[in-house]
Amino acid sequence: MIKASNLSVRLAGKQVLHGVNIEAAAGQLTAIVGPNGSGKTTSLKAIAGELPYDGTVNINGHDIATLKPWQLALKRAVLPQSTVISFPFTVREIVRMGLSVGAKAGADETDRIAREALEAVDLSGFAGRFYQELSGGEQQRVQLARALCQIWDPVQDGEPAFLLLDEPVSSLDIRHQLTIMRLARNFCARGGGVIAVMHDLNLTAMFADRMIMMKSGRVRAAGHPNEVMTDGVMEAVFGCAMRVNATPAGSVPFVLPHTALG
Amino acid sequence: MPHSEMAAGDSQSRSFAARLKSEWLLGDRSRLARLVIVALILATAAMFAASIMTGAADASLGNVLRWLFGVEGAEQALSVRDRIIILDIRLPRAVMGLLVGASLAVSGAIMQGLFRNPLADPALVGISSGASLGAVLTIVLGSSLLGALFAVFGFYALPVAAFLGCLVTTLLLYRIATRSGQTSVATMLLAGIALAALANAVTGVLIFVADDKQLRDLTFWGLGSLAGANWTKIFSAAPIILVSLAVVPFLARGLNALTLGEAAAFHMGIPVQRLKNIAIVSVAALTGASVAVSGGIGFVGIVVPHVLRLIIGPDHRYLLPASALLGGTLLIFADMVARTIVPPAELPIGIITAFVGAPFFLWILLRGRSHMGL
Repeated sequence: MIKASNLSVRLAGKQVLHGVNIEAAAGQLTAIVGPNGSGKTTSLKAIAGELPYDGTVNINGHDIATLKPWQLALKRAVLPQSTVISFPFTVREIVRMGLSVGAKAGADETDRIAREALEAVDLSGFAGRFYQELSGGEQQRVQLARALCQIWDPVQDGEPAFLLLDEPVSSLDIRHQLTIMRLARNFCARGGGVIAVMHDLNLTAMFADRMIMMKSGRVRAAGHPNEVMTDGVMEAVFGCAMRVNATPAGSVPFVLPHTALG
Repeated sequence: MPHSEMAAGDSQSRSFAARLKSEWLLGDRSRLARLVIVALILATAAMFAASIMTGAADASLGNVLRWLFGVEGAEQALSVRDRIIILDIRLPRAVMGLLVGASLAVSGAIMQGLFRNPLADPALVGISSGASLGAVLTIVLGSSLLGALFAVFGFYALPVAAFLGCLVTTLLLYRIATRSGQTSVATMLLAGIALAALANAVTGVLIFVADDKQLRDLTFWGLGSLAGANWTKIFSAAPIILVSLAVVPFLARGLNALTLGEAAAFHMGIPVQRLKNIAIVSVAALTGASVAVSGGIGFVGIVVPHVLRLIIGPDHRYLLPASALLGGTLLIFADMVARTIVPPAELPIGIITAFVGAPFFLWILLRGRSHMGL
């Protein structure tokens, strides 16, 4: 369970978050959505512990401010938006960096995990390629494989581990968007937790258990996508009158830009 | 050799090469890296021996080794003159070449990891100038204003002062070029030019006010060569260099993570601020100590790690020790060339490293522009 209470963050003298409360349970995919500049990524960075913040962030009951970096690294892994590297690392070398945290596994074990992580992000056969020569979407998936390796077991010593993903599908084609979202769901199904900053509302509605809608540094709505994605919330948050629909087969809400009025 | 045996040996060596190649294709260069390190250890030993034997006075390796290891009767095989040449001239030069070359290459590799850029080099970004300033300050003001420094540190005063000059410059440069975890290469290189100019200007003023004896000391010190190598200098710099080199392996994992960015390194459990502090102090100690004993020798810190990255990859667990070995070997070699190419005169070693290094630097620049954010 990740519990961020009353988070406030100032960046370059500007108040970016105003007392945000975010909860993410193990076994659930929690998505943070909202317009550009609403504080989604800032919230995720504060939860990851990489920004100075007011308020508290707890992971499984431990205040992250009291944890050492390596202890934190065993409880959560983070996928940043994009990672530029100026040295010629191979894909395998990058992915294996995720395995250098915590207890040392044997060489065969690390090899197996690295291979399976690459398979999970649909990059089998890419191990020998140079990271710098991959496309943006491929680089993003390599970084996800690296983060996965860091918390390969979703439950460690009886505690759930958390994946923090900052726009994990932003530069992916539609097939790989589904691959990655399914991977995140699978991580939850095996007992871990996921917090993902998302832009695509429909993809989020399909996969998220909880949706946190932010605007101007505050949480405007939180709950099941069915409760959050309503005509009223859409207009209040995005300033754009749109009609929310539901898929015929079930209750997954979706919204098309075509329905925007004016 | 029987035919079958030869075939067996042949297939074995082919399978080893095949294994290396298949690992390379899978992106695993760790076995290759270990192999390269072993080869470099042998090369360093060979170069060291060659350097002791090469020069105007002949000395066979066998005789030298027998004498150095105290084998009975070996002393007679060498003349007194040869023994003095080897013990007091060639041996300290080779030892100093090894220490200074290793220091420069390793501090280059650490800086490049720290700044997340393959173009960072102590000599290029003004850090060596900071070290020079520290050294010149002690030479010129050591008898007056900075007398206390000599009183406290004795003959370590010069390397300590160079270390402090280096530390201040590195900290300044890092503060200027890095903002919220991102290093701007352009700012780093330009700020390096400004800091070097400033340090050189102050050095110039000091030289201007120096008296004749100090000028003599300065000239001998500033040649940028190993010509002045002697055991006193080695004993003054070696402790600093050896302690720093012993710390360096512990930085490897952190520097690897840092290549993904400061935030990502923190996510992976690295105490980033502590890593940066230790890295900066190590760079300052290594550069400072080597500048103090040999003046500024450029380009070793940029060429050596770059060549190695092309072969064994950028993993600092292998890159740092390999850099130390190749740096030492190269500097001993450059020194051999420097003192034998125009006998009986000597070329300053900085000329040789610049002749090789400067075109190489330009080549890196042209080849890798797209990867370096330039």
